Amino acid sequence: MKTRTRLALASLSATTAVVVAFIVPTTPAIAHGTMSDPASRVYTCKNEGPETPKSDACKAAVAAGGTQAYYDWNEVSLLEAGGRHRQLIPDGKLCSAGRDKYRGLDLQRADWPAKRVSPGPLTVTYHASAPHSNSNFEFYITRDGWSPTQPLRWSDLVHIQTFNGQNPSTFTNWTLNIPNRSGRHIIYSIWQRVVGSNEAFYTCSDVDFGGGTTTPPTTTTTTRPPVTTTTTTQPPVGGTWAAGTTYSVGNRVTYNGVNYECQLAHTAISGWEPPATPALWRRL
Amino acid sequence: MRFFLLALAFVVSGCAATQPDAVLRGDPLDVMFLQMMLPHHQQGVEMVALARDRAQNEELRMLAAAIAQTQATEAETMKGWLTSWGEPLTAPPDSHTGHGGMRQSDPEEVARLTALRGAEFDQRLLNVMIAHQDDAVQMARWETGSGANPEVKDLADRIDKSRTAQIGMMKKFLDRA
Repeated sequence: MKTRTRLALASLSATTAVVVAFIVPTTPAIAHGTMSDPASRVYTCKNEGPETPKSDACKAAVAAGGTQAYYDWNEVSLLEAGGRHRQLIPDGKLCSAGRDKYRGLDLQRADWPAKRVSPGPLTVTYHASAPHSNSNFEFYITRDGWSPTQPLRWSDLVHIQTFNGQNPSTFTNWTLNIPNRSGRHIIYSIWQRVVGSNEAFYTCSDVDFGGGTTTPPTTTTTTRPPVTTTTTTQPPVGGTWAAGTTYSVGNRVTYNGVNYECQLAHTAISGWEPPATPALWRRL
Repeated sequence: MRFFLLALAFVVSGCAATQPDAVLRGDPLDVMFLQMMLPHHQQGVEMVALARDRAQNEELRMLAAAIAQTQATEAETMKGWLTSWGEPLTAPPDSHTGHGGMRQSDPEEVARLTALRGAEFDQRLLNVMIAHQDDAVQMARWETGSGANPEVKDLADRIDKSRTAQIGMMKKFLDRA
């Protein structure tokens, strides 16, 4: 490959070389990382051990969403973010980046392991297992009066500082000027890659300023969601294909005027339309 | 210029020892998406296949079987594209290091799942598959957002929709357990 590249580059005019320099890094490089100090929630639970969490918060997070998130601690990211963080991530899901894989990180609890901090300069460290150049790092802290037992909303975040055009190494430090706060807060960060990828990474690090409101006792009210009874709708013979319907082998449906017969029992979902799923439907 | 584009495709798609005779080339991002999706698909199929003999929840067994079959068909389509473009089915091992490697479930996970039965198996498989399909959604959105080939983007869109719907179903199964 090296020979090929050299040959190709040698035959290029200066202007084309600029184009190449621009195009080549657009390879969708996937970086990886999270805040290691103050440790992000995912970093804390990963360090406790995904199968053997120690803190009540990590135990609850694993119980709520499984262990995989903590093996993939460095991927709390959106591949196609491209700066649209507020548009893509709903309020209440900022710590998981709105991803179901990481839903355990959104638990509203006052006992997430937290670093004791004070207002003033604070050196933070980002652990990038795959660091990439040309990145912007934004740091935020929750507003005065926010409580960890409330959902974290975008409007709860107060901007501290943004570092543009960064070339992170495996461990990168920045010094933030932390404003006055009391009690528990979250330092939130966004790592947006700028060249070569739209990928962005999100972190929630719990910090404790001490004093302030007394930590409310952790009420472990396991809210049971209402039991939704699945009504297995028997499809009328010759009915129109519909997502949510459970089909048995031999059931017949119409989709866009074409008839299909079910080949494998399943509940229909969007993306599994009959013409696209020959494994499920046979065209008649 | 033609040589330049070819060389560029080599650089971008991971400089593999691809068949030098191949004239048709897929867009580099489409190629990488497919090369990353294929092993991800296969691992997913391997995990859901365990449900047949181990799952307690009948609805989960039904979903697992449908996932296994639909993903196997999708994999054939993806292989077909890569083959027709003269691209290898998997990228050379080191070509994705710059891309942080594959998003893949821990291979040990299959072993952990294999050891479980009944309700314990169901819970673990559901959580692992939610995570696995959530990764697939991310990759699919990357392709639909930045890919080139309309057919590949169309498949990516169906992957996005179907995995999102599967995650919704699996979360319901977990809530009911």
